[in-house]
Amino acid sequence: MDRADVGALVQSAVDGDAAAWKALVEGLSPLVWSVVRSHRLSDADAHEVYQTVWFRFAQHLGRIREPEKAGSWLASTARHECLKVLKSLRRLTPTDDPQLLDRVSDDRTPEQSFLDLEEAAAETERIRHLWQEFEELGDRCRQLLRVLMASPPPSYQEVSAALGIAVGSIGPLRQRCLRRLRARLEARGAV
Amino acid sequence: MNNADNGYDNDGINGIEYIDDVAYDLLEEELRRAAAILDPVPAQLRQIAVEAFALHDLDARLAELTFDSVVDAIPVRGATDVPRMLTFHAGGVTVDVELTAQGLMGQVLPPQTAGIEVLSGPQAGSPLTTDDMGRFTYDEPPAGPFALRLRTGEGVLVTDWVTA
Repeated sequence: MDRADVGALVQSAVDGDAAAWKALVEGLSPLVWSVVRSHRLSDADAHEVYQTVWFRFAQHLGRIREPEKAGSWLASTARHECLKVLKSLRRLTPTDDPQLLDRVSDDRTPEQSFLDLEEAAAETERIRHLWQEFEELGDRCRQLLRVLMASPPPSYQEVSAALGIAVGSIGPLRQRCLRRLRARLEARGAV
Repeated sequence: MNNADNGYDNDGINGIEYIDDVAYDLLEEELRRAAAILDPVPAQLRQIAVEAFALHDLDARLAELTFDSVVDAIPVRGATDVPRMLTFHAGGVTVDVELTAQGLMGQVLPPQTAGIEVLSGPQAGSPLTTDDMGRFTYDEPPAGPFALRLRTGEGVLVTDWVTA
């Protein structure tokens, strides 16, 4: 999704165009989901926050001052809702850590379907390793990379809104975190 | 050029740490693919977001969340299971809500009778009516995000959505 279209889509949605709204959901859902996931909520809380964010967005649609920055609005709303949930849970012990490695999605891409089983297995293995090393990075790197890996890639404004860090520090932090991940993969012999 | 320790490491001397911009981009792209496979947006959530367009209502006034005890109150030491207090404002109308494990209790101020719907998504919510003092109770704890839609003498109000 071209970010330049976001403003126009928001405007059309304000005017009642359901297809424009759907395009916004398709284009920006992965960003919202990534922000929620980067905060390590339980699955149930993550699902709830995701919904709150979209319900709020629908409600605030005509009141958003800079429609072209809707992505940042969503990212920032998601961050605040996540922090609130974490705050209300603070006295409890961390809940279920999502067992991501055990639930590879069934939504296979067309490319994947064409791979023969063996290749697919090797690919799955590689992705699992990558994910495992990613999950074991320090909190800050894990959080930043989880937001950056939204699809399409978020703008640095959106990352800034998602994590409450200055735009100028994102580039250097990104490099440092990717370097660490790379080093872990190399240590494992997985590159 | 001595910039090995400024966070960029682009001098290439630190062999093991050196990777160029393209390699960073490739690694990020690989993570993006991994996320799409291992942790995609759940399809049912995406569908709920699509349907949420029905919540777009230009006629209702928005009652903004102006107080939430989760962020605005100092926790009482040792107190557990304290109700969550929420306050919404729109123009001259205030809605106070107390959220407990038993459900919702609240009051519309200034006191008035109002029709209230407890919303849990884009579909119609459960209807309630306040008493003369504007008080209302709802005996079901919200199982997910909720908002209230109020029909008052001043027209329709909808509160901000809250993650229960």
